[in-house]
Amino acid sequence: MQSSPTPTPAPFAFPREYFFPPFFTRQTNLTTHHAQLVKWASLVLSYCRHHRIFKLSLSGQSPTTTTTTTTASTTTPTTNLLDATTPSSTTSDELFHNRKLNRKLSLADVREVIDFLRKDGRAEYVGGGSSGKDSGDVAWVYWRTPEEWAALIEAWVDETGQKGTVLTLYELTQGDATRGAEFHGLDPELLQKALGTLVKRQKAQIFGHEDSQGVKFF
Amino acid sequence: MSRKGVGLAAFDRSRITSAQYASHGSSLRSTDASAFETQLSVFRSLLQQFAQTHAKDIRSNPTFRAQFARMCAAIGVDPLTSSNTSGGADKGGGGGSIWAQLLGRTVNDFYFELAVRVVEVCGETRGENGGLIEVRKVRESLMGKSMEGAPEITEDDILRAVGTLKPLGSAYSVIKVGSKPYIRSVPKELNTDQSAALEAVQVLGYISVPMLMVNLKWARARAQTALEDLVGEGMLWVDKQADECEYWSPGFMLEGQQQQQQQEAAG
Repeated sequence: MQSSPTPTPAPFAFPREYFFPPFFTRQTNLTTHHAQLVKWASLVLSYCRHHRIFKLSLSGQSPTTTTTTTTASTTTPTTNLLDATTPSSTTSDELFHNRKLNRKLSLADVREVIDFLRKDGRAEYVGGGSSGKDSGDVAWVYWRTPEEWAALIEAWVDETGQKGTVLTLYELTQGDATRGAEFHGLDPELLQKALGTLVKRQKAQIFGHEDSQGVKFF
Repeated sequence: MSRKGVGLAAFDRSRITSAQYASHGSSLRSTDASAFETQLSVFRSLLQQFAQTHAKDIRSNPTFRAQFARMCAAIGVDPLTSSNTSGGADKGGGGGSIWAQLLGRTVNDFYFELAVRVVEVCGETRGENGGLIEVRKVRESLMGKSMEGAPEITEDDILRAVGTLKPLGSAYSVIKVGSKPYIRSVPKELNTDQSAALEAVQVLGYISVPMLMVNLKWARARAQTALEDLVGEGMLWVDKQADECEYWSPGFMLEGQQQQQQQEAAG
């Protein structure tokens, strides 16, 4: 709906538990801890949905330099393209760190929340723990699962009568035609995953090379 | 009046007298009964009339409802007793309480519906509060959920609604911690130390072992035990990132946010 990315999005309305200091400490009581996880999971999902964060950097909360492949991490989120793809460390920092309360969720606890989401199919570690020391520090947060994204794209293609035509991946997420659609600005990698589910169901076919990939819907 | 007769005739006389007394008594009784019956029917029709004219107010106006319930209590009619619990088999037709018959179930239904919603709130929040929730919180939660224009609910209503759950033999009960009523939805008893600790938590929303030691003159072990027991029951949350380990009441989540917003508004 509000997919046209504005440079300054409306501030996220944090739920009441975000202002509750013990929320940032792992609770010892099992039942309480479960309630805590449920709250954190829903907070992470709604936060990422609000800011359209597809990949969440878990260690982004520590200001130590992280040497990653994404060197082009501009500090100012003016260009929406970069903003959408690279999770700006400031936002995820805010999520797990309430500066006003001076409380933050430790990395181990963050991982527990992500694991909790993973069991629900709502998160997945990027790379699956392959690339050395950085593995598992970034996670996909599926406030929409690849299947759900796929369904949105499919519905859009259907609506606009573009079945059988070839669309480039770029124009699907960045083109003017999809401006206003929810998947506009979708992370390219996530788009691949979404289209992958369609390919598996033989609803689409992807061809082309790295930079100039196209997709055809059936 | 009664002079003890002598001789055989005295027996006859006493038999006659007692028969006369008996007949007189029964006639008195029957006039009493009929008088009472007319009174009752007058009362019934008046009450019915009253309830009908004010049914809307009873439902929508919390003050009026409370007054009404209080009036019923004063005249010895409990609007909520045993309606439907007896299975409606007694007294032939109708069944249920007089009240339900009189009011066309308006009041009853109001409280029963409310009770269901209270149970829902307790169930939803049990994970975070261990089954102990302040009545005020229940009200806030209910008011937050209900749609615009829905009748207002008072804490008094909620207490009454919880009362309606009693015939079900449920675990729901109202206990007092300090001066504030809480609904307990898990059948557990608090010992005096735990109650005292919870009461202390109400002041700031949290408490620590040293605070208890200073304010209640408890030994460290005693304070520690009380707080850890409450954590064990899921009734308090631990904050280990404070200077001293703090124990927070989950009911304080709401105030925390309000404070925050006030600060933001001020700053």
